[in-house]
Amino acid sequence: MNALSLTLLASFTAPMQIDTTPAAMLWLLPLVVGIAVVYKATKVSSIRPIPFAKETGVLIGSILVFITAAALILYGVAWFVNEHLPSLLGRPGF
Amino acid sequence: MSPSWKDNHTLFLSVVGVLAWLIPGAGHFALNERRRAYVIFVTIIVMFFVGLYIGSVGVIDPVGAKPWYAAQMMNSPAVFFLGRISTGGDYLVFGRSNEIGQIYTSIAGLLNLLCIVNAVYMAHLQVIEQEEA
Repeated sequence: MNALSLTLLASFTAPMQIDTTPAAMLWLLPLVVGIAVVYKATKVSSIRPIPFAKETGVLIGSILVFITAAALILYGVAWFVNEHLPSLLGRPGF
Repeated sequence: MSPSWKDNHTLFLSVVGVLAWLIPGAGHFALNERRRAYVIFVTIIVMFFVGLYIGSVGVIDPVGAKPWYAAQMMNSPAVFFLGRISTGGDYLVFGRSNEIGQIYTSIAGLLNLLCIVNAVYMAHLQVIEQEEA
């Protein structure tokens, strides 16, 4: 086994360093692409490159829009509960 | 519907299902759905190996993360051997790398489960069409 093969194998034995930052959310993007591609591959009647790419692109966009909307709504709810609800209820906080 | 036809039908569907589980996309390949098979194979294999690269082989944990392992097993029976390697070695992984690696490998497995079901359904449709022709 040559050095390149050993290096490649070794790269699967130690985890990557991923910090708990908002940037880590970007790992969502390849996952969404994979889900959309496989889902569409099972749904379309025949796979032709351009229509398949278009349909997959639309699905990726839809997923991202709905995830963003869900994140904004949840952020808004969390903000309201933490910042405004205690004063409305006359309590110091949760 | 004769019993022999039903037996053959069941055997055919079972073979397609097992093929699809052994190698992602192989079920569709056996049904002459070559393009679909290539797309499924490449996407699921890449997703699985990206998950392994992110979290290391330690994300396959048959002891401490059984629900994730069940989903990962849907990729292929080969995951069982990776689980043996992971359990036998010292592959510590925790935190965000562990979470993302598990999510990638498990979702790849669940997507392959979808493909297995789809391949079996397509095989069923092919048999029905042949019967009607």
